[in-house]
Order: sequence, then structure tokens, then C-alpha cells
Amino acid sequence: MSGGPLIVQSDKTLLLEVDHPDAQACRMAIAPFAELERSPEHVHTYRLTPLGLWNARAAGHDAEGVVDSLIKFSRYPVPHALLVDVADTMDRYGRLQLANDPNHGLVLRGLDKIVLLEVSKSKKLAGMLGARLDDETIAVHASERGRLKQALLKLGWPAEDLAGYVDGEAHPIELAEDGWHLRSYQQEAVDGFWAGGSGVVVLPCGAGKTLVGAAAMATAKATTLILVTNTVAGRQWKRELVARTSLTEDEIGEYSGERKEIRPVTIATYQVLTSRRGGAFTHLDLFGARDWGLVIYDEVHLLPAPIFRFTADLQARRRLGLTATLVREDGREGDVFSLIGPKRYDAPWKDIEAQGWIAPAECIEVRVTLTDAERMSYAVTEAEERYRVAATARTKLPVVRALVARHPDEQVLVIGGYIDQLHQLGEYLDAPIVQGSTTNSERERLFDAFRSGEVKTLVISKVGNFSIDLPEAAVAIQVSGTFGSRQEEAQRLGRVLRPKADGRQAHFYTVVSRDTIDTEYAAHRQRFLAEQGYAYTIVDADDVLGPSLPQID
Amino acid sequence: MTTSFADQLRALSDEALGALIRVRPDLVVPVPSDLSALAVRAQSRGSVARCLDALDEFTLQVLDAARLTRSAETALTSVDAILALAADGPADEVRSAVDRLRDRFLLAGAPDALQVVGAVDEVTSPYPAGLGRPADFLDPRAAALCADRAKLRRTVLSAPPGARAVLDRLAAGPPVGALNGTAAMAEPVRWLVDNHILVPISDAGRAPRPDGELVELPREVGMLLRRDTGPLGPLRPAPPTPDGPARDPKAVDSAGAGQAMEAVRTTEVLLEALAAEPAPVLKTGGLGVRDLKRLARASGVDESSAALFLEVAYAAGLLGEAEAGGSARAVTVSRASGGLDEIFLPTGAYDLWRALSVARRWHALAVAWLAMTRQPGLVGQRDERDRPINALSPEAERGGAPQARREALHALAGLPAGTAPPVTAVLELLSWQAPRRARGREAAHRDALAGAATLGATALNALTSYARLLTADRSEAEADPLGAETSETSDAIRALDSLLPAPVDHVLVQADLSVVVPGPPEPELAAELEVVAEPESAGGASVHRVTTASVRRALDVGYSAGDLHALFRRRSRTPVPQALTYLIDDAARKHGGLRAGSAGGYLRSDDEALLAEVMADKRLSVLALRRLAPTVLVSPYQVSRLLGALRDAGFAPVAEDAGGAAVLSRPKVRRAPSRTPVSARVDHSGPPMLAGPRLAGVVEQIRRGDVATRAARRAPITVRAANGQPGPGLTAVQAHGQAMAVLQQAVREKARVWVGYVDSHGSTLSRLVRPVSLSAGFLRAEDERTETLHTFALHRITAAVPEE
Repeated sequence: MSGGPLIVQSDKTLLLEVDHPDAQACRMAIAPFAELERSPEHVHTYRLTPLGLWNARAAGHDAEGVVDSLIKFSRYPVPHALLVDVADTMDRYGRLQLANDPNHGLVLRGLDKIVLLEVSKSKKLAGMLGARLDDETIAVHASERGRLKQALLKLGWPAEDLAGYVDGEAHPIELAEDGWHLRSYQQEAVDGFWAGGSGVVVLPCGAGKTLVGAAAMATAKATTLILVTNTVAGRQWKRELVARTSLTEDEIGEYSGERKEIRPVTIATYQVLTSRRGGAFTHLDLFGARDWGLVIYDEVHLLPAPIFRFTADLQARRRLGLTATLVREDGREGDVFSLIGPKRYDAPWKDIEAQGWIAPAECIEVRVTLTDAERMSYAVTEAEERYRVAATARTKLPVVRALVARHPDEQVLVIGGYIDQLHQLGEYLDAPIVQGSTTNSERERLFDAFRSGEVKTLVISKVGNFSIDLPEAAVAIQVSGTFGSRQEEAQRLGRVLRPKADGRQAHFYTVVSRDTIDTEYAAHRQRFLAEQGYAYTIVDADDVLGPSLPQID
Repeated sequence: MTTSFADQLRALSDEALGALIRVRPDLVVPVPSDLSALAVRAQSRGSVARCLDALDEFTLQVLDAARLTRSAETALTSVDAILALAADGPADEVRSAVDRLRDRFLLAGAPDALQVVGAVDEVTSPYPAGLGRPADFLDPRAAALCADRAKLRRTVLSAPPGARAVLDRLAAGPPVGALNGTAAMAEPVRWLVDNHILVPISDAGRAPRPDGELVELPREVGMLLRRDTGPLGPLRPAPPTPDGPARDPKAVDSAGAGQAMEAVRTTEVLLEALAAEPAPVLKTGGLGVRDLKRLARASGVDESSAALFLEVAYAAGLLGEAEAGGSARAVTVSRASGGLDEIFLPTGAYDLWRALSVARRWHALAVAWLAMTRQPGLVGQRDERDRPINALSPEAERGGAPQARREALHALAGLPAGTAPPVTAVLELLSWQAPRRARGREAAHRDALAGAATLGATALNALTSYARLLTADRSEAEADPLGAETSETSDAIRALDSLLPAPVDHVLVQADLSVVVPGPPEPELAAELEVVAEPESAGGASVHRVTTASVRRALDVGYSAGDLHALFRRRSRTPVPQALTYLIDDAARKHGGLRAGSAGGYLRSDDEALLAEVMADKRLSVLALRRLAPTVLVSPYQVSRLLGALRDAGFAPVAEDAGGAAVLSRPKVRRAPSRTPVSARVDHSGPPMLAGPRLAGVVEQIRRGDVATRAARRAPITVRAANGQPGPGLTAVQAHGQAMAVLQQAVREKARVWVGYVDSHGSTLSRLVRPVSLSAGFLRAEDERTETLHTFALHRITAAVPEE
């Protein structure tokens, strides 16, 4: 029995005791094959999944090495069955290969004839496989490359894609590194992606995913299609690309609901691509409009299902996925793996924060006690309305104002989910509001004013959850959300995690109503952040407001 | 012959006789009456077969040599003849094999006149060493060929390739082959038969075989063909050494200990799942496929492992059948009577087992596994009638299973520590050690090895140190018929114990409310965690999560918020996160906010003073009143008792029903059922006498009926006509206007009018009514005959005529 830092559980989770002297070495050893699931302060949880093991296998690790590191760092005896299972699972990857045959084009090659026979008999592959060329090779229609990989993954025999990529139409792109440099982890991410050909880079919000994209473009030096969540995010990409690369405004096109430009670098929104007319997707031509050399997917965890289908047809092009989390609320992580590619780079948030690239954040939950009248009205509310009633309690308003007043010199974002409440807050705080109905130009104007410091406090609705770059926001106050969405919590924290000019601390407040469903949802959302190592402090609203309770209206 | 055999036995010294009995213990069960009886038994088929079963491959080969070298006349052989035939083997080994055979009295007599015990030929193959019968026994022409060695060699060498292949196959044994009729096969065999190398034999007394003629290779030809390997075939005087990578014994023990912990844990999870939702016993006995799947899913192992653990748990007495809803049946009762309403449940022994240390628990499982006459590997396969074999069902019963397990583990135990032979190598070794026994037992041996790996007795294909001790334990127990060995002192437990992680008494509490126990928890800690947290992940360590529900559970069983804070402070190596403190406080604050109870009745009053008075009244203390609120008292007694006691004490209570309304009750006086007095009995001789108002009423009723009938008959012609067409000389509009005038007049005079109208079905009717009002497009009128008020829509009225 060695006193190692790692405890291997029979459900294939690995517990890593962080304070152990060997913890760092152990982390390095297991990171290639185990996925970090939670990283609270003392014990980090990693999980051995088939996907993770296959990722490791794809990166050249073998089962023997994995088993060795498990045994080496494990504190307790590792169950024999688990070791056997790890070896078996890893052995499944690469038994089948997708390759380019000089005579027959795309073929599926089986290093193990029996496996090839097994999958070729499967009904799930019906129609994807062509003629049997010999015992070890089956022709594959080039158009089925993506779907075949998806189906093989589901069968548990993931294929190694060695069929290569087309270079696409060349286009000169250089990084313009004047006065700034690619951070080391960004460079590692780009290198990891390029070596793997296609795949996903996982970086937290504010760690400069856009720059990773730009650097990947500069490496590819080819025409690029960038898919983003919405128009505002697209314009930020454009601004960033113009500033950080040799690209000019004219070379970058916007393909959105408002404009339909196709240029060497084209930024399209998910929304316009998934819009249909008469049941048919009307903007699919974009994928064939140019000979794209690189396709970048921003926020992969939000990638809508139809885009997966289009991506299945794009398997010959290099694909880069960027995201803060691989956790998809719809559980389609396997599709990301087979269609966009394996994970190529991942860094735990806390590590990046320690490097100083993300502003360290202080997370505080402020508990507000409802007035008796509010409690009574909450008590008699229908179940489906309860969260709204609790989250939009007027008692929160003076607390929010007190919190804003605490940070007189900082840029404050007040984030909420209910429009009525946002209007109340806007009036109460005398701050402008950005919501779904705000026009794009008005949004841009307000965001610019906020960035310049002209507007100190901004009230934003759910539109602020994604891809809005407000690096100077140092304080976020969350008053209501989409029930218990963990993803939303991560995104909102991301708003204030951008590095600050002077390295100030960021503050993330959540105002919740005590003893209501609001507290429960808040607890659920916060679990995600606690698992990422952010400890929440809970304070009472009375402490925020000071000794004298202000009267509300 | 028997006499001489008995004489030989009689001539033995006591030691030699004792040695015989030691190697063939079945000879003295039961103890024979005399040496003749012993001799008879020693030559009996059963005893000889049992003795042969225990012999290794080499000794059996030497026995075959003895059979082959018997002279045709005397049926005797000699040690020298055996040595000559087995010249390929080392002479010493052959000699010691002969000694072994003589020790067992399979060979009897002097070294130069050895006799093979007759029963040997009966219980072994008719073809010793896979060689056919001598040629002169089979066919004179073949005998002639065999007599001429040079010609025989030439003939064999000139055999075409196809024929040569047939020869090689028959030479390797068995020497008999069947022509299966295909032309490709028949041609070479035909050649061999024509050249008298093969001899066709007919199976006397048997029906002609459908697959064709049988042919036999004469012994001489076989021995010629075995020039390279020797006449007895390849001789292996020493057991084959299984090749396999040598593992570090420590690594083996470590992986095994991990698996042993896992086995114990999985068994526990399986039984807990079974306790939570018991599975019914199938009518045919055993556990249904669906239940097995469910349990396997619950415990996170595959079905074959789940079946193994359940079988072992059953054998260890941790699992038993109980009548559904009834009391547990004794586990020892045969399961063959699996009834309709029986379920599988953990037994009381399970609770005792759970309290043991992990090593002891594993030992209990391992011992049960070694001894159980079950072959869990059969579960999930199909029996000869193509029905699936269920776990715990009678179909998985195999009497030879314990023996197979012992053999397999002993085979491994015989190898140096850390040797990790693949399964096939172990099977080969087993088949050398006792070829007669291993034949047909391959599945059982495989199952034993698989089970050993699943239970953690072997790991990385090598036997663990503690399992080695366990098998040693067992063999000692066999040598000790009194069973003096007790599990408390077992070395295996101690060895395993030293490999398992030491129990820990502390936890790590984190901000995401997870509680990590970095090792197996002490029983006390485990019990505490079971109450205050939900388990999330188990294994070497365990992860629990504190949730609102788990804290509430802890509060329910009597922890206070302070206790919980103290518990986490005491157990946690790390500072207790604020989130947990808040969670406990929040849950404690809400806990018990609502109180539920039952009462027989209540007292309420708006006058608090009155209730205080009731509470203070000593005479009412028997009611056990309790104040719930200033205005409410409750009592365990029923309302009637409350009322009585209160009234006795001079209060004036009123009962309430569920809705709060007062229930008034007059005192009831008891009365017998009413009877009709004799005086009231009517004289039924004539019709009843009517008088006064009753009579007047009857008369009026008759008259009114009469008027109505006559009135109906006398509806004026104008009305009846108007229903069909307008009246003579009048348009429809004029007729309607006239009708309105009549009606208005009638309302004023309260006179009766005949009204003709069209009803909603379109049929025309007339009615004699007394109009009451005429407004808003409706006529309201009274029908005196039926005493009802009618409403007529004016536009439906076709005519109105005053009553004449």
C-alpha cells in the first residue's frame, strides 16, 4: 500500500487529494486519460470514461501506461476488474481506421477482421458501407465519413480518422503581435489542435478563446468559416480579428440575419444557419460557398442539433471547437467527439486563474429575507409561478442598490431573467437596460459606453449570458436566472472573469430570497462553481444594508 | 486368480497394507470384513476407476505400456518389458511410475511376472496408448504384411499424400476411424485397405453405421508410424510448466486485495438492492432474468459477476428465501420446492456478516465459494432443452464444482508466487495431473478460474498470497476430519487484512457539499454518514453528498443542528465550509415547522379565559387536555366523552361537526317500535266512509277533470281552423292582431281563453288558459286543469278565442 494521492473508485471515478505532495505529478500523469469532473478545494474528481480513454489512445497513450499510472499513484489496491476494463476499453479504439486508399478513395480498414465483420453486420451502419474490397477493407462513401464515425462510436468501436484534410483555399493570415503575445497556454492549445487535425479546445470564459481561434487561422492560412452564437458575438470576433491579425475589415464578412456577406473569413451565426423556410434550411449553401480550409465553432456546448448534421458533411475540413465546458445539457458529448473531434486541450479554471489571466473572483451569495407580505404571497402562489415570485421580490432592490454602492469605482453588471424586474431595477438604479428587444445598434452603443466607463452600471437580461465581451466589468450582481441552469451560472461568472487592467478582484454577487425555491435553484447553480473550486460565501442582506433597514416604498 | 490376489495382500506387511489404504482410501469405506473382501473390492471396477482418475498422464501411459506388453499366452508382463517399450522416457521415472502402480495394486505380482488387474481393461479405452489391436488378431493378410518389416515400411512410404494424412491421424490415436462416405476421403482409405495397412472391422452386434465402414490401424503399423515419438506417444514424465509472465507478487496481492474489497462491496450492494426490492422466486426455482439484470445494474457489475456474487451469497447463507409477506423460511430447506409466493431476501446472517471486517467478510464468501456445489458460469447459458439457466436455479447445480475449484487453485498454488499463467496453460496442467478427471471438466475449471478472478482470489492471472493460504487452510481441514480449524485463526484473513487499507475516522468536507472519506470508514463513521449524507461513489474511498433531504433525515432521527455542526467539526480534517453550515441551519430552521398529530376531540372557544378555566378544573384532568393554541385544547378522548365530562363539571359545551356547524341533540328517550292500537283498526266490511272537506275535495277533483275533458272537446272551431289556415276572410296578420286584442282583453278581465299555437316541433295545439300577463313578446298564462303556468312566444300564437 503506497501512500499515493489518488484513490481509484469502483465506479471509475478517481479522487485526487490536492494537498498531497505528489498531487501535481499525479495530475500530470492522469490528465491525458481522465476527465476532470469537479475541482473543489480538497479533493478533485476525475472520471474514466470511454471517451476520455479513447482521447488518450488517440494521443498515443497505451493501456499499459494508463494502468501503470493508476497503480503507481493509487493509495489503495486498485480492483483487478477495473484495470481489465480500462485495458479492454482502450483496446477498442483504432481497431478500425478510416483511411484514404489510392484506388478506392475513403475506406474503412479493420486491423481486426472480426471487429470489422461485427460492425459490417450491424444494422446501424446499413447504407454507409460500400463494397467489401478484401478481408480487411470496406469502401465507404465519402459523404458518410461523419455519420459513420458517429455510428461506430455508438457501437463502441471508435474509428481512427486517418483520411486527412483538404487544405482549402489559401489565404494569407498572420498574427499581428504588436505589444502583446500569445499566452503560453493559448499556444499549447493551438499546437494541440493542429497536431490532432481537428478537435475541441476547452478554455474558461475570458481565457482568450478568440485568440486561440485567430492563432489557428494564422496556422492554417486558409479561408475560414466561423460559427458564433449571435450577431453581437460575431462583431466582437470581427473586431478582435482586425485588431490582432493581418486581416482587414474588408476581408471579414458577416453572415447574419441582417447582412449576408461571404468573404475569405466569414462569421455566421447559428441562428441564421438553422433558420428554415418551408421546412428547408435556406442557408446551407454557405458551407459550400467557398473552399473553406478551417471551420471554427464558437461555444461548442451550445451547438444546435442541425449544425451537427451539417458538420457530418464537413469531415474533410479542419474543424476547431472552442468552449468553456464540454458538458452539454442535451448529453451529445459523443457527437462533439466524433464530428468535431476529440478534446485537444483542457486547463482547469483555477490553474489559469493562478497564472493571472483570469481575474480572481469572489463569489458571494446575499440572502434576503422576504417581508411578511411577500412571504404570504409566495406561499399561496401556484407552483409554476413560485420561482418568479421569489426571484423578483421587491425586497431585493435596496440590496442591489447597496451592493452597487459598495463598488462606486467599478463597472457593475446587474443580470436578471425577468423583464419587469429589470425595468424596476433600471428605474431604481437609474441605469440603462439591455434586453432581447433592444436593437443591435442600441446594444452596441450601450456596450461601448460601458466599456469606456461612461455608463457605470448596466442592467442586462438573458441576452448577456453569452459571448459579450465586457472586459471592464468587475462586479456582477445576479438577481434572477433561468431556474437552476449551471451553464448559465458559469457564463455569467465568465462576464466578470476577464483580466482587469490592474489585476483587481472581481466580485460575483447572487441575491436570493431566503427560504424559497430561489435558494434551492441558487444552490444547484452554485454547485457547478463550487466544483470548479470557487467557494461561495453566504452573507445576510442585513449585513449588506448596514444597521438601519431602509423602508421600501 | 482372486485367491492369488488375496494371497498377495495377505503377504503384505502391516505398513504396506496401510500404504495401500492411504493411496486408495475408498477400499475401507465401509471397512471390509477380511482380506478377501478387500481384494475383491480392490479389483472392482468402481474402485479401480477412482484410483485411475487420480493418476497423472505419465503414470497412465506407463500403465498402457504394461497392458501392451502382456504376453498373449500368460497375460503377464514384466518391469523390463515395460522399460523397453517406454524407452523414450527416463528409466528412473518409468520405474517409479511402475512402483506407483504396484503400490496401488493396479499391477500385481513379482517384477518379472506382473499382472494387470482385470478391471483396468474394463474401465479404460480398449486401445491402450491409442494403438490398435495386433494385426494377427485382425486380419491374416495384414498380419502377413506386418510380419515382413521391410515390406511394411516400403508400403507405408509409398502411400499417397492423402493416405499418409489418414495414417498420421489414426496413428496419433484413437486407431479406429469411420469412412464418412465422401469421395475425397474414401479414395485414400480405399488405397490403405487394399494394401492391408488398414483393416475394415465390423461392429459385431451393432446396426450398420450410417456413416460407413469402420477401419482400424493394426498395432504394428501404429508403432511403426510412431517412430519419432516412441510407441507410447510423446511421454511427459514431468508436469508441463505453464509459461506466463512473472508478476511482482506485491502487485498481484494489491490488485487482488482491490478486487476482494470490490467483491465484498458488490455483494453488499446486491443484497441491499435485493432487500429494498425483493425478487420473487421463480416457480422452477431461481432468480428471474429481469431481476438479475436489475440487480446487476444497481451494483454496476455485469450479469455474470452478479450471478456469481448472488450464488456465493446464497451459499454463504447471506441470502435466503422467505414467503412473500410472511416470515423467513430456514435457508437450509431445499430450494427444489420453490413455491409461488416466495421472495429472495438477505438473511439475518447478513447483518452479522456486515458487522465483520472486510477481510473476514471476504473469507466467509471465499470459503462458501470453494465449497458450493454450483457452477455460476452456467447462468445465462441454455440447458439441453434450450431453456436459459437462471441464477440460484437447480439447473446450475454441479456436484463436481468444489472439486474442480480445488484442483484449479491447487494447480496455481503449485507454481511459484507471482507466476501468471494464461487460462489455457492452467487447463493443460490440470489435464496432465489427472487426465481422466479433467476430461469433460474444462468448463468447470474455466468457471473456477473466472470466479477466482472475480472474487479476488487471483489477480493478473496469478494466485494471491492470501488465497494461497486459504487453499492451504482447506487442505488441512480435509486432513483434519474433526474440523478443528476455525476461521478466527485463519492465516488468510490476517494476510488479507494486512493488504487492505486501514479504516479511517475522518472525512474531507468541501464547498460543493461533498464529503470524502479517504479510505474505508470506521463502522461508527459509516453509520453516521449513512444518516447525514447520500452516498455518491464507493470503492477504496467513498464520496457522500450532504443534501437538504439528508440533513432532514438526520434531524428526523434525532440529531439537532448543534449535533450536526459538532459532528462535521469533529470528523472533518478540513474547515467546514460555510455553505454546509448554512444548509444545516436552514434545514434545522424549517424542520418541525409543521407538526402533525392525532387527537380524539378538541375544545375551542373564543374566550381564552374559559379554556383556562377548563384546563384548571381538576375534575376534568381525566380528559388529558392539552393546549394547542390559546383558543384550542385537544384531548385523546371522543367528543361524547368530552361533552359528558364537561356537562358534569357544569360547563355548557356544544358539539361541532367537521364543517364547524353546531350539532344540536335533544336527549333521546327510549321507546319501543310503534304499534297500531286495536281501536284504530277499520272495519273492512264496506267501502271507507268519507266526510267533510275530504269528500268535498274528491268532488272538486272529479268536477275539474270533467270540465277539462269537456273543454278540450269543445275547442272552438275558429281556434281549430286558425291552426290550419287563417280564419275566413282574414289574412294571417289580421288574425294575429285580433288574437292579441283578445288576449289583452282577457288579461284585463282575468277571463279564460282558447289559445292556438305552434309548438317547437312544428305541431299545432290548442289550450284553454287564463292569461296572466302579456309582455316582452311572451304570454304567460295559467292552465287551471294542470295548475301550471305556461309561457307562450307571441309569434307562435295563431289564434285566441274567449271561452264561451
